[in-house]
Amino acid sequence: MVSKRFVAKRLLLLVPVLFGVSTLVFAILHLSPGDPAVAIAGQRASQAFIEQVRSDLGLADPLWQQYVRFLGDVVTFDFGQSYQIQRGTPVSSILAQRLPITIELAVLGQIAGLVFGLPLGILSAVKQDTVTDHLTRIGALSGISIPIYWSGPLLILLFAQFLGLLPTSGRIGSEYFLEPITGLILVDTLLTWEFDAFVSAATHLLLPVVVLGIYQMALISRMMRSSMIEVLRQDYMRTARAKGQGAKITVMKHGLRNAFIPVITIVGIQFGTLLGGAVLTETVFEINGIGTLLVDAINRSDYPVVQATVLVFAVLYTLVNLVVDLTYSVLDPRIEQ
Amino acid sequence: MSTETATGSTDVERSLLERLRASPFLSQLLANRLAVVGLSIIGFVAILAIYARLTYDLEGLMATQYGVNPAETPPNAEYWFGTDGQARNIFPRVIYGAWYAMLYGTVTVLASTVLGISFGILAAYYGDLADNVIMRTMDVLLSFPSLLLALALVTIFPEELGLWRAVAALTLVYTPRFARVVRGAALKVLEDEYIEATRALGATDPRLLVRHVLPNCLAPITVQSTLNFGLAIIDIAALSFLGFGASPGEPTWGMMLSNGVEFGLFSGIWWWSFFPGFVLALTVLGFNLLGDGMRDALDPRMRETVD
Repeated sequence: MVSKRFVAKRLLLLVPVLFGVSTLVFAILHLSPGDPAVAIAGQRASQAFIEQVRSDLGLADPLWQQYVRFLGDVVTFDFGQSYQIQRGTPVSSILAQRLPITIELAVLGQIAGLVFGLPLGILSAVKQDTVTDHLTRIGALSGISIPIYWSGPLLILLFAQFLGLLPTSGRIGSEYFLEPITGLILVDTLLTWEFDAFVSAATHLLLPVVVLGIYQMALISRMMRSSMIEVLRQDYMRTARAKGQGAKITVMKHGLRNAFIPVITIVGIQFGTLLGGAVLTETVFEINGIGTLLVDAINRSDYPVVQATVLVFAVLYTLVNLVVDLTYSVLDPRIEQ
Repeated sequence: MSTETATGSTDVERSLLERLRASPFLSQLLANRLAVVGLSIIGFVAILAIYARLTYDLEGLMATQYGVNPAETPPNAEYWFGTDGQARNIFPRVIYGAWYAMLYGTVTVLASTVLGISFGILAAYYGDLADNVIMRTMDVLLSFPSLLLALALVTIFPEELGLWRAVAALTLVYTPRFARVVRGAALKVLEDEYIEATRALGATDPRLLVRHVLPNCLAPITVQSTLNFGLAIIDIAALSFLGFGASPGEPTWGMMLSNGVEFGLFSGIWWWSFFPGFVLALTVLGFNLLGDGMRDALDPRMRETVD
């Protein structure tokens, strides 16, 4: 088991990281040339009105006051109201509405990547330097070379335009109206027992998940392969085989368990790539997650939304890596030192 | 003074060349068929890029061509990759995109490598406060998903910079990776006894860093740079695709893909997205093949399995 001290120490280490992250986000927005007061008041507003807006927003205060206030906002997770995208709506409620959409997509993409990537990586390692291995490796290398904004359009063209099998964009057919409960569309449609709506949502999600999954699959199978090769070469593997244990059982029992440890780290490290991929996937498939929200907010100088979204992404990323570290130490207690 | 530094640098070059020839690295790399394929792809794209830069006139590629060419033509014998919504021939535009990718990719990778090397070596050498300040800053940069950090950073730079905005943002995003690799390698080198000996012989700090620490970090840096090159091309195009980078009409792969998705996808015009994306993916594959081959050639454990 993980010791409480280790968990406490890791949690404590989060504080300076989050402080640094918040400071960077504050700095980025105050360095950008756009003027939010002008953006809100409109280009043709009088100078007096622009100044009025500026002081209403607190943007006329000295920088250190704005900074302290921002840190307070971060701690209470209150970023005020959106300037542009949904003017007057609290940023936290916009995020609450959009975040589950991205999380659903990212989690499904990650699962797809693991389900296909892990077996491929193991197969490649066990059959090292055979034709199977070479084909899998070339496939995986091609997978990480193909950007999501190319594989996405190609699959839409093939399955939606030419074959007409799947919908092209959005999250659910326009005939369904769904009151969000959890915000996860597959869960919500099941909770309300609307099976047709569930099928519609699932067919809408299929292509985005495949696109995101292919990339993750390629990454995971590569990592799994090298980690498995390392394990297969260990002495205990030879010992197990010498005892007369079958090859398959040895790989499954001793090999997998030890090869999984690095894979968990990989899931953590690649979580950033997954989130970046989700942003691109949302753009290609016109899904209203926080990825498209961020792009919109940057384009329209909606500062509070940009700040909150970037912070949410960084916090998610940091937390996932914390969980990964803790899981890691459960699997291999030596790591705690 | 100047002659001294000049001979100094040729010494470094000569010893590097000798080391390369003596080490099994180059022969390992060339024996790796996939790495050679990667190298050939990169060479081919580089030639395309230079050819496009020298033959095509950029203004002509950007201007609309109504009346000159038919608009929205599928690929045929005359227009190999078809024409776009503004009747522009897509083939020369895709080829010119190679110039953009190679140029901006090289600058991004070079800039982040140089910055990363400097920060990494400074952190390792001076330790204490310098190490803490530098590496904690790098940690903060590494706490963001890379594409999202790049998106946020792009906004700092004025829009007139166009694609250079993307280059600047991605340079900042990639620098910490190099700094970490270099710092680790440099710390290992600095522990060696010969560093102590060199210092006892009167070597100055800068000399020590340039002649002894830097050459010993080169191998991991080269692999990291090569693998990062592919990533840089993907990310630069991704930023253009999301609307931050190239200006409309510029023949970059990211911009062409963005237009293809926005205007061509739902009318089934596949050639607007297919060709730029294909050449982009091929180029990135080239860098990944080469980077993989280099890593295998450098990692002795991998070498065992090849034998």
